[in-house]
Amino acid sequence: MNAHASVRPTAIKKIGATEIHILWSDGHASTYRASYLRRHCRCALCVDELTGRPVLAPEAIPDDLTLLSVELVGQYALHFRWSDGHSTGIYPFAHLRALCPCEHCTGAPSERERL
Amino acid sequence: MFGRKIQEDDVLRALRQVVDPDLHRDIVSLGFVQNLRIEGSVVSFDINLTTPACPVKERLREEARRAVAQLDGVREVRVNLTAEVRPHAALDRSALAGVRNIVAIGSGKGGVGKSTITVNLAAALRASGARVGLLDADIYGPAIPLMLGHQQHAQVRGNRILPAEHHGLRFISMGLFVSGDKPLIWRGPMAHKALQQCLFDVEWGELDYLLVDLPPGTGDVHLTLAQSVPVTGAVIVSTPQDVGLVISMKTLRMFQQTNVTILGIIENMSYYICSHCGAREEIFGHGGVRRASHELGVPFLGEIPIDTRIRHQADTGVPIVLADPISPAAVAYREIAERLAAQISIVNYQTTPLRIEEVSI
Repeated sequence: MNAHASVRPTAIKKIGATEIHILWSDGHASTYRASYLRRHCRCALCVDELTGRPVLAPEAIPDDLTLLSVELVGQYALHFRWSDGHSTGIYPFAHLRALCPCEHCTGAPSERERL
Repeated sequence: MFGRKIQEDDVLRALRQVVDPDLHRDIVSLGFVQNLRIEGSVVSFDINLTTPACPVKERLREEARRAVAQLDGVREVRVNLTAEVRPHAALDRSALAGVRNIVAIGSGKGGVGKSTITVNLAAALRASGARVGLLDADIYGPAIPLMLGHQQHAQVRGNRILPAEHHGLRFISMGLFVSGDKPLIWRGPMAHKALQQCLFDVEWGELDYLLVDLPPGTGDVHLTLAQSVPVTGAVIVSTPQDVGLVISMKTLRMFQQTNVTILGIIENMSYYICSHCGAREEIFGHGGVRRASHELGVPFLGEIPIDTRIRHQADTGVPIVLADPISPAAVAYREIAERLAAQISIVNYQTTPLRIEEVSI
């Protein structure tokens, strides 16, 4: 997370109801599928607060999950409302950057995409 | 008799030599030069600054005057200083539409004089001509009504809360919601709700600066503020003591984690001048905050001495900046307010608004 602490978005786009595009201040571009972001929610309902173990099962999220809305949280994060009714997650920019599923960031795109 | 007529282009070219030392750009391309008039051999114009508390305004005025005066045919130069505080790029929440900058004042621990500093900085900014509001969000010990000498309850009109107004400052305190000596006991969600009310349900009107006096430490109120509004930046108040400093750093890191720009650090209780012999005592050590801010690459805004009159004025409801404007403490506060206003202007020039664009497919 610290590696990306100073990187900030310069443009954020919601493409239809299924994708988020972020252009970063270091020139990198990230594209996220809605279902991918939903599966990486870190809120207390999805990740156990004390142990940090995931509570949410990735397969519980349908691949065709959609985004109802995106909002900025102050100047540091995004907040999503999903078609499954979930809306408690806050995604700090540094976390989003670390989640970038592109080949360059993961080194193993197919692994990451399956999550 | 004066040769050729003075051209507007020549005046502007001359003024391009005058560079704002904070923004590192010339005053013409910054758009500061307005209402340029040439009448015979008399040239007059406004310099519209980014804050009435600009620390270099007289220097800019003099440099501009000199640059134009050396032009052929110019007999007299009239420079009029005006100021318009630019809004922070991201601030457009409708309820706070008239508020141009929200500035958080925090500290690592209690008792470092954060509220006293907030009140005096607000008074100093007001005295420079800016429109200033104060939000006392210190839920553990709301002190601002006492320090401003105004303890009436908040008034409500319709479903909007009217801020109290005293010494030309608009303010709301969590302390105005409860009476006198009753302790404030807030659960996290209550503090969250109360702060949001103070931000969005208050009739703030037009403000250049809204200073938010936070509770000490890092907690619910800080997070609520950072999540609810695009804060222009935060100021950290610390004492020179190392212990105080280490704790201040935690507050600083918390602001950085939520992408709130650190506008600077203020060292309070820097030294004590004995009222009998004039000797300077550095009770808590000295210079630690300046050193730390240098290491962290964060602006050092200044230091304020321990002065019993600061405390006395706070207790009697007239901040020392207003009660005794030429006292050394008031001068120190004014200089810090000017540096703070300059930092805010710098941040606003560097920030581009972040928006979410919706693309339909």
